[in-house]
Formats: sequence, C-alpha cells, structure tokens
Amino acid sequence: MFERLVEIICNYVEVEPENVKKESRFMEDLGFTSFDFMSMLGELEDEFDVEIEQKEVADIRTVGEAVAYLESISDEK
Amino acid sequence: MLCSTIREILLQSCEKYGDSDAVRYKAGKNDIASKTYNDLKRDSECFSAALHSLREQGSHIAITGMTSYFWLTAYFGTVNSGSVAVPLDVSLPAEEMCELIDRADATVFVVDEVRADVADIVRERCPKLKYLISMQKEEDTDKMISLNRLLSEQEDGFDYMPAPEQLATIMFTSGTTGKSKGVMLTHRNLAENATCLDMKFPEGTVLMSVLPIHHAYCLSMDFLKGFSTGAVVCINDSLIRMVKNIKLFRPNVILMVPLMIETIAKKLEDAAALPPEIVKKEIFGEQFRTICSGGAYMPPAMLDLFGKYGIDILQGYGMTECSPVISTTVSWNIRKGTVGQLVPNCEAKTVDEELWVRGSSVMQGYYKMPEETAEALTEDGWLRTGDLGYVDEEGFVYLTGRKKNLIITKNGENVSPEELENKIGEHHLVQEILVRESEGIIEAEIFPDMEYAAKKEIEDIAGALRQLIDDYNLSAPAYKRVYRLKVRDTEFPKTPSKKIKRY
Repeated sequence: MFERLVEIICNYVEVEPENVKKESRFMEDLGFTSFDFMSMLGELEDEFDVEIEQKEVADIRTVGEAVAYLESISDEK
Repeated sequence: MLCSTIREILLQSCEKYGDSDAVRYKAGKNDIASKTYNDLKRDSECFSAALHSLREQGSHIAITGMTSYFWLTAYFGTVNSGSVAVPLDVSLPAEEMCELIDRADATVFVVDEVRADVADIVRERCPKLKYLISMQKEEDTDKMISLNRLLSEQEDGFDYMPAPEQLATIMFTSGTTGKSKGVMLTHRNLAENATCLDMKFPEGTVLMSVLPIHHAYCLSMDFLKGFSTGAVVCINDSLIRMVKNIKLFRPNVILMVPLMIETIAKKLEDAAALPPEIVKKEIFGEQFRTICSGGAYMPPAMLDLFGKYGIDILQGYGMTECSPVISTTVSWNIRKGTVGQLVPNCEAKTVDEELWVRGSSVMQGYYKMPEETAEALTEDGWLRTGDLGYVDEEGFVYLTGRKKNLIITKNGENVSPEELENKIGEHHLVQEILVRESEGIIEAEIFPDMEYAAKKEIEDIAGALRQLIDDYNLSAPAYKRVYRLKVRDTEFPKTPSKKIKRY
C-alpha cells in the first residue's frame, strides 16, 4: 500500500518518490495544501475501494499515519 | 428584487418557485434526495413553532454542523421567528465552542451528531443553555431533544414577520487581538446584501455549495442569494468527494476560495496539451460555467487560465462585518486587477489609505464588545475595513494591502497571529515569538529562552520547540495550525516602544 500511495502523492506535489518516507509530513515536508490533501483522499477512496470520513483524517500528518489509517479501514471491510 | 428580511426572501421564493427543488443532497453513495422551496418553508416554520413552544422564540440559538438540510431548517426557523442564530464552526475544539456558546448567550444549541463530544460537555460549561437539540437523533434522550420529533409535533404554518432592523445572526470572526468577535447582523444587513445585485443567474441555476456554512460568504451567497434567485443548491458532503460530487450534481456555478481555484489550476496546467473542451468535460462537466471567488486574494492569472476552458471567475471582496459582500465582479464587466464593483447598497471612501465602507449591510457592532465596535465603526456609520485600497469613478475596487494584523489564508480563514503567539508563547521555552504567513502557510519564528533551556538541561532546543508546536497543532483547528518553524539565535528587532517589529 505504501508504494502505491507514494505514486499517488507524486501526482499531487512535486517531489521525487525516493524522497517520500513514512515519516514525511504531508504539509510541512511534502508541500501539500489542505485542499490537495482532501482531493487526494478522494482518489484514495476509489483506488483502495474504501470510504474515508473527513473527521477521522483531521489528525493524519504523516505518510505512515495515512497508510495505517487506510489499512485499518480496509480491514474493516 | 430587493428583500429586507430573510423571511421575505423565503416567502417570495416560495411564491415563484414553490415546487421546484431548493436543496439537493446525497442520500447514500450515489443517490440524490431533494427538498423544494415549499418543503423548506414548511419545515423551517415548524422549527419556529417549536422554539415558540419551548418559550425560546426571540432567544439566541447556536447551530453547529456540516452543511445539511437540518442545518438550514434550524437556521431559517430561527431567524424567521425573530430569534437570533449563532452559526458555529463545526471544526472548533470543544472548549472553544462552549466558550462561544456562552459568550453569545445562547439558550438553545442545535448540534450535528458529528459533534457529540461538545454535546457531552456543553451543559456543564454553559449554564445559560436550556435545550440541546440533535439534528439526527430519531428519539429524545435524557440529554437531548430529537429535531425530527420536535418538528413532527408542530402544526404547519408559523406566521411571523421579523422587522428589517431585528437582529438575525451573530457570526464569530477572528479578532486582531486574538479573541474572536461576534458580528451582529440584522435581517436587513443580510437580506439586502444577498438581493441588492442581480447577477443574472437564470432561475433553476444549479449551485454546489462546498464552503463551510458558518462563514458569511457561504451562508449569504450560496443560500440566501441562491434561494432568492430560484437556484437549486446542492450540498457537497465532503471536500474529499468534491470531484465526484461535481459529476453527480452537475453544477453550473460553484463558490470557491482561492486555495481551491489554485489547486484545480494545477490540474488544468498538467492537462494543457489536451483539447480544452475535453478537459472541461472531464473535470467540471459541459454544463459548468462560473466560479465565484472570495475570502482571500486570488492571483489575476487564474482568470485567463480558466477563461481558456470557458469558465468565468467572478472575484468578490467582503468581510463578515459587511454581511459580507462589499464588491463583486459580474460576468458582463470583468476587470482584471480589481475585486469587482461596489454592490449597490454600499458606498466607499479612502481615509489615510484605508478603505472605509458604509451602507445597509454594515453590521450593528460586535456582540458585547463596545470598545472593539468603536474601533471598527465610526459614529456616522462607516466601517473601517482594515484593508488598504481605493475605488475608481466606475465603482471598481482596488486593494493594495492590509492595515490590520490578520493572516488571511488562501482558504479564506482569518487567523490572528497574536492569538497563536499568545498560546504558543505561554511555554517557558519561548522567549519571543512571531507568527506570520509565508508562502501560503502559517509560520512561527521563535527566539528560545536560553536560560530556561540551560536550567532544564534541554540540549536539543529546536527539537523541543518542534514538539511544542506539534502539541499546539493537535489542540488547534486545521486552519490555525503552524506548518513551519524557524528558530532564531538572536532577539527580534524592536520598535521604539519595545514591540517586535512585524515587517
């Protein structure tokens, strides 16, 4: 899941895949705006066939946290 | 047609468009439900009747939640019964929301289940509060009344006509001193702002509402203006699904903030090699034609970029204190470099480079804040906007800078640097701090207290400050978070009065 997420991240911000780490923070390190982030979550819903709740993602800051969240909601299905 | 109360807007719309859809929203993943103008009138009148039956007609009614038909029912039912609606940001931390409910003297709190955490503590924190109404609960509980149950018990029809001068809404806005201020707006303020200018949107225009409804721009322009023109307003349930929802609702018009416009612009630039009509169809649908932009500065280059795809961007300018629109662009008279022309109910002048405005949309003042009110309003009714600018002979408004110390983020949120400086600066490790906007994000620059660091044997000062900012961010709503930290090794330069020089 991490590798696929990195590919998608690189479509939103100008960053090389090898520079995206689990501890990279979306806003501070990768240069996401809040709206980029929301748009990407919409794409992730389709990509991983999950339903994301806006209030549950409010505190996601790092790529690793996003992976953990996506894995948790995929498991629920 | 000019309306002077929100009740008049609803009655006139019902007369003209009664059985047409007023609101569409998602019911399930891909299904759409709708409510007509007549439905909204009936349901909101039931809410008015309910307030009357609770003996709360005329009281202050706090409302918080995601944009929904329930929210609209509570809002219209409140203001049209002569009560005062207090819309609150659904993303506020619970403690802050309770503080605002208390400061606004609300006796009823209508709350979306997404904020069940606030409902749990609000009774303790807000002694003036008498009733809690849940937007979604089907049955009453020991703490809460079910909105559905309450409405179902009322008889249709609540015939009350508020006066134009009656207070309708208190909206909180960031103050430059850090304490948010309750902007008092009457029916006339809001209704005349929404109806004084005919933007020539045809009846049945489909709008999609994507901004937070507690903001004056969204409430006034999507809903009050939209309803006054017979529009169908579609509710975007989440920014996460905006792209999908555009395909579902097929809107003609969307009100946006510059952050959204600039994000979409990046996608358009990526697809620059493809024919514009195909790109437009893919992203917006063929029916899409207009973006209204407000809330913050938008780079003029966006006009040309979107123009290539046959999309007009109508840029406006306003502030909550002016209900909120001061000027707007109309599709038949777009002038780059301006924020449009003054709306008909507003006059303006420049005093010491600052833009002052006056007219029927200027607020009554800040709720229970006489000093701040006197700073903002002159005795003869002029509102000092805090923005630097001027108006030409044709009424076009040019903005040149800002006098007030306020960060206006690209998503239109106003953030007081002093509020953040005070909060973060409470920590002993922070000797001096300056919060500012830099490259579109909020940045904090800190001069640490070296003596404290030595005393506490903190070796990694930058790391400790980083942790401090992380802790602050966890307690703050997203738009008030600090995304960059700079650490200084010398004191900040000071003004002669020993204040930190901001610029």
